Amino acid sequence: MRLNLYEDKNTAEERVDIYYSSMRPAIKQIIDIANSDRPSLKGRPADEDLDDGIDIILDPGDIYYLDHIDRKLFAYTKNGVYRLMTTLVACEEQLWNYGFVRVSKSNLINIYKIKQLKPDLNMKVYASFDNGERICINRSYKKSFTEYLQRMRRLSE
Amino acid sequence: MREYLKETLLELCCSYTIISVVGAITNFFYGSETSNANVIAMFIFCAIAVFVLSLHKLLTRFSPLLMILIQFVLSLGLCCLVVFIISLIEPVSPRGWFEFIRSFVIVYILGAGYYYYRVFKDAKKQDKLIKEIQEKNKQ
Repeated sequence: MRLNLYEDKNTAEERVDIYYSSMRPAIKQIIDIANSDRPSLKGRPADEDLDDGIDIILDPGDIYYLDHIDRKLFAYTKNGVYRLMTTLVACEEQLWNYGFVRVSKSNLINIYKIKQLKPDLNMKVYASFDNGERICINRSYKKSFTEYLQRMRRLSE
Repeated sequence: MREYLKETLLELCCSYTIISVVGAITNFFYGSETSNANVIAMFIFCAIAVFVLSLHKLLTRFSPLLMILIQFVLSLGLCCLVVFIISLIEPVSPRGWFEFIRSFVIVYILGAGYYYYRVFKDAKKQDKLIKEIQEKNKQ
């Protein structure tokens, strides 16, 4: 994608013009940023006390996956693990356009961060990430996962 | 529960129809005949297979390989029980048990092999789709 930036000190109204061939997720994300609608998640480092910690704004693009354990939601990034004060369902609705898809009862993964999808000898299919971690894709979610991938591919065209 | 029963009955009807038609065609070409007891046994085996396979939704916490093994043991056990009950009414031929277990194991291994192949093929396809989406998102 070619990017043109014009600096005009005298402009009264700053504006963004987007020329696109199809409304794919990347374009939608740019629109969200321009509209200031880009979802950001507030999280606190998982190892800190919730009362003392400071909220950190997390960019969905930095998150590998979300894990729901013991009624707590955690976001795994390259820099660490953060506890989110929201629900997995809310994140699923908010982030589907950003490559997040449900692969089990407690996991939402970012498909843009997947390094490889590979089955084990015991036939469990795992998504491996750049950070070396891997998440199992539950076979109950296999159909919806494939449908999501096909939908994202269609949107990307 | 109602949905489960509806789905299971539909699967049973379809599979029993296929098996009886294949059986009828085989009998037609080989000139053999099937007894009433065989027809009933065929239906019971079919019902057992459909019931055991429909349990896969309850076994999602286990790996597919373990699920296949659990289903194998369960279905083989139930089928053996049926053959044993039938043997009390009608005697089983000397090679009957051997033939029964051989037929069961061969079909099951073929089915499991196909499932194994599909898991790997689908994962490869999904991996390709992910790479494609990632590539297009980078552009």
